[in-house]
Amino acid sequence: MSADVIGWAWRTPLGDSVETATSRLLAGERAATDKLRFETRTYACRLGAPILSEPRRSRHARFLRRMGLFGLEAAHEAFQQARAHGCDASGERLGIFCGYGGLRAHWDDMMEALSGQHLEQGGTWERGLKRIHPYWMLKHLSNNAHALLAADLSARGDGATYGGATAGAQALSAAIRALEAGSIDVALVFAYDSLLEPETLVDLAARGATTTGDLASLVAPYDVHARGFVPGEAAAALVLQRPGASGALASLSAADGADGHTSEPTAETLAAVASRLAQTDTVVDGSGRALPALDAAERTALASLLGESARLTAVQAAFGQMGAATTLVQAIALASCLRRGMLPPISGLREPAEGPLVPVREPVRTSARSALALSTGAPGLAGAVHIRSPSE
Amino acid sequence: MSRAVITGCGVVSAFGVGARVFWDALSEGRAAVGPIRHFDASGFPTRVAGEVPVLRTDGAWLREYLGGRLPEPVLQEWEASGALRDRKIGFGWVAALEAWHQAGCGEDASDTWLSMALGLEQAFLEDFGPLLRKEGARTSIDWATEQGASLPQVRFRSRIDLCADGLVRMLGLTGPVVPHVSACAAGTLSVAHAASLIERGAATRVLCGASDSMVNPLGLGGMSRLGAPSPRAEPDACRPFDRRRDGLAMGEGAAMFVVESEERALARGARPLARILGWGSTQDAYKTTAPLPDGAMARRAMQQALRRAGLAARDIGYVNAHGTGTPLNDPAEARAIREVLQDVPVSSIKGAVGHLMAASGAIEAAACLLPFQSDCLPGTAHHRERDPECDIDVIGERPREARVDAVLSNSFGFGGQNATVILGRGA
Repeated sequence: MSADVIGWAWRTPLGDSVETATSRLLAGERAATDKLRFETRTYACRLGAPILSEPRRSRHARFLRRMGLFGLEAAHEAFQQARAHGCDASGERLGIFCGYGGLRAHWDDMMEALSGQHLEQGGTWERGLKRIHPYWMLKHLSNNAHALLAADLSARGDGATYGGATAGAQALSAAIRALEAGSIDVALVFAYDSLLEPETLVDLAARGATTTGDLASLVAPYDVHARGFVPGEAAAALVLQRPGASGALASLSAADGADGHTSEPTAETLAAVASRLAQTDTVVDGSGRALPALDAAERTALASLLGESARLTAVQAAFGQMGAATTLVQAIALASCLRRGMLPPISGLREPAEGPLVPVREPVRTSARSALALSTGAPGLAGAVHIRSPSE
Repeated sequence: MSRAVITGCGVVSAFGVGARVFWDALSEGRAAVGPIRHFDASGFPTRVAGEVPVLRTDGAWLREYLGGRLPEPVLQEWEASGALRDRKIGFGWVAALEAWHQAGCGEDASDTWLSMALGLEQAFLEDFGPLLRKEGARTSIDWATEQGASLPQVRFRSRIDLCADGLVRMLGLTGPVVPHVSACAAGTLSVAHAASLIERGAATRVLCGASDSMVNPLGLGGMSRLGAPSPRAEPDACRPFDRRRDGLAMGEGAAMFVVESEERALARGARPLARILGWGSTQDAYKTTAPLPDGAMARRAMQQALRRAGLAARDIGYVNAHGTGTPLNDPAEARAIREVLQDVPVSSIKGAVGHLMAASGAIEAAACLLPFQSDCLPGTAHHRERDPECDIDVIGERPREARVDAVLSNSFGFGGQNATVILGRGA
């Protein structure tokens, strides 16, 4: 079960255009910085990979926060690209599928409501809740980006919004299923997430998932000295058609799974999800968690599937971990690199840990036309996407 | 193709705990929207809800229903984390375990998928006080204080997937977990998703459904500011399809189902409660807060579901409407129902249990099992005055006796997400 990609776009820490960010990825750049949108000097995790641009002015800003606006921008841009390739789907034949990892209450919108509360004394309405903005609830509506995009594009077909760390992979899978079932002709899939929020940084650091060092001592995933990932953020969109589309940018399939672990899924789970997609791939984009034990277990499990000589890269070393947006970003990044006949290096990798698979340290030419990409998240979630670049 | 059937159902509602409690109350025509008791709602414009009759969803309450499924140290750990204050977590667990047991699922069912609709994470206002920092006129949260950083992750907020997370651990599930977050249509979509997984053989068993509670200060405050609830803080706040309707009543609770293939269920001696015959999903592409006035895309969702079920309009014996009791939803839905299904009997249970938001489609699917249990169509609590704008056969406050073989349930979410599911009588 696969689909052809006829449009793509993203907003990432390495740039807003696919071409630019791909070039930076291939150049081995990484987006990690200690200059975030809020002061992090007293946090355990002080690094992040933020999107540096600001969302464009939008009439939807009253209903959407920053990441949702990025999501809409990417979706519109991807759809314009598809239209330029002759896609004219609309109405009931156009479906929208969204992956939203950041279904969080945003406290900064609520200060007026919170600051006067004395709960033991009651009166929560009078003490502030009555001053919540009337659209506060709509800004937290889980499917508001989906709804606004549907209205913008008159997309009235099948679709849904999925939540959680692998929501992008789930949205992708659902879109491909809907195409296969014939309920729609074109699927616009978009996902957005940010791990760069104060409570998320506290959370991730408390779980030992993120790096706690400074920029100078930052170590890449799959390095012998790896000490946690860099949290990032992204929005990305793909326009999909059933296989056989002329001028397709790539074709892809997706899968996801879970194993009940409270933090990261096991390497076996990751390999089991990958095995539903992998064929004869020689390139894998690892989940890049940058913790030696997890990295080693992942390499061993993937080697049993792909062979020990498969090339290992990790685009999240460059972009940071992007939560629900990861799968879509991986799909675009790898397809874009394969189209150039190149494999991206693991940014910042200095001393690869021993083990199976061959970590890519420098950008290298490749004849591979396909790749597998993996992502993970708590609780015990695994996502995978298989990308095939069209033959010349 | 495998036909998907429901073999287990669990419900937590304003009527109490248990699917039987829920069905009995509906068949008696009772309603349970009333004054909010588990927190001080005085001063709020909206002070009534379909509140589950429990003051605290704590470890003591859960012990009664979980039957040791969650080891005591783990339950204590959850309680200490503060997570159980989010009522939807416990509701979802209790409903899921009831469904699990009713379906006769055992240790060998660990490969079950979980397809679950969940509402917005809950903010715990009481956790904020120590972290608020005032600098002049500006107030902010100091997340990086020692106190803030050392608090468990569930302080301040309960991640949306905590309920699902607990279920995975409790039941030892190893299948994929799919959190549906398509607002008020999410519960129905979770059931449809489960059926599609079974039909195409991707899963052998799916635990699906939804849990939600926005009956808390922030949920109630946010919805009040949006203006969705009825301004009348009375037990009849929600009057679906009634000429005098003026808004919704909020509700809370959960409904969970075990869905598997009919052959597999029958082979292991399980009794299907219903077949999942068809479903449809469309988008209004209109406005975030208002449905398409002509109900065109709601109509298409119903037509899609009929087509997938291979049924004609005359085969549908009952419609459980989304029926929010808001001025805009009900006439649009009524138009859509009339155009597709003409004079079919219609009711909404939202007057009785309130609007369960993300869980509304799930609890309404549970209500749709009642006709197959006892040939009884649920009534529409507080529907007393017919509205010419809602020109359909609305079942009034009293349930109606009828034997039907197929029923249709609608869910329409904020943002114009429409979802319909059709259930049929089990074998």
